[in-house]
Amino acid sequence: MTAFAIGIAFGFALERAGLGDARKLAGQFYCTDFTVLKVLFTAIVTAMLGAFWLARFGVLDLASVYVPETFLAPQLAGGAIFGVGFLLAGLCPGTSCVAAASGRGDGAMVLLGMFAGVLLTGLGFRAIATFYESTARGAWTLPELLDVPRGTAIAMIVAIALGTFALVERRA
Amino acid sequence: MIRRTLAAIAIIAATLAALVDRPQTIDIASLATQIAAEEDHVTALELAAWLRDRKAGLRIIDLRGEKEFREYHLPRAERVAFASITTTRFAKHETLVLISDGGAHAAQAWVLLRAQGQPHVYFLRGGVAEWLDEVMHPATPTELTRYFGSTPRIDEGFESGDTWSAVAAMRRRGC
Repeated sequence: MTAFAIGIAFGFALERAGLGDARKLAGQFYCTDFTVLKVLFTAIVTAMLGAFWLARFGVLDLASVYVPETFLAPQLAGGAIFGVGFLLAGLCPGTSCVAAASGRGDGAMVLLGMFAGVLLTGLGFRAIATFYESTARGAWTLPELLDVPRGTAIAMIVAIALGTFALVERRA
Repeated sequence: MIRRTLAAIAIIAATLAALVDRPQTIDIASLATQIAAEEDHVTALELAAWLRDRKAGLRIIDLRGEKEFREYHLPRAERVAFASITTTRFAKHETLVLISDGGAHAAQAWVLLRAQGQPHVYFLRGGVAEWLDEVMHPATPTELTRYFGSTPRIDEGFESGDTWSAVAAMRRRGC
């Protein structure tokens, strides 16, 4: 029920940000529209600061927050495939759901393609299983990678985000 | 205007995050000095005096299991599971007295809390057994021990398998 409510809220926020529009999303790759960067970086900064301070005030137990494990090579390959698919379709998995839900045909087609891809990956998984689990790094976080306290990593990311926002706003 | 306000909030929140999230360093030498000077623990009689005098900010933290706590606990004691001791919130002005069966667990919790920067932490050296022996059933009751309803100790030993309530009841018989 919680996941359903969060999903609806996520979809609503994406739609309101205009991310159900493939042209807007593709604009990110051609550096003509920075909506995706601004929306997603804002979400990262908000969630990051929110989680840190909620944990600090004892409302949230960060130890119980699931951190996905890192598998460097397969995730880099997956990211590259994801990027190519994103650029070709103009939509990513979340935004394709939003586009389909708001009645856009391209969104529905991307959804179909996504499920076909999931099915094919499942069927051929045995062939890529070794690669899929290679270069495991465990639950790797930025503070561990940079060997800095969590608060410092947060300040660095916020600085990068705000600097980027200022830069793209100047370009616009 | 809204964007600038949100950016300012993010800058403040991020700067504070960087300032408050400093890596914890334990001053081992200072802890060792405190232990050597026997400033890390209280005796049962000292604790009894604190309780009687209603020492401001005193909290008695019982680290034993729930069953043992239900069977017997010190006046005003509150149970905190050992695993939760570092996530339990204590105010800096509070004086914490940690209690376990013997004293080993309480001493370990003392190190953890001191390492976290909690300034006024002590443990009851002999644990609940010392409280029962020195306060509830002393060889010679004093004005202080009588405040807690002490009865003189009788030479009746107890087995290591006896429950705290059995030990407490045995000691309560008096003469």
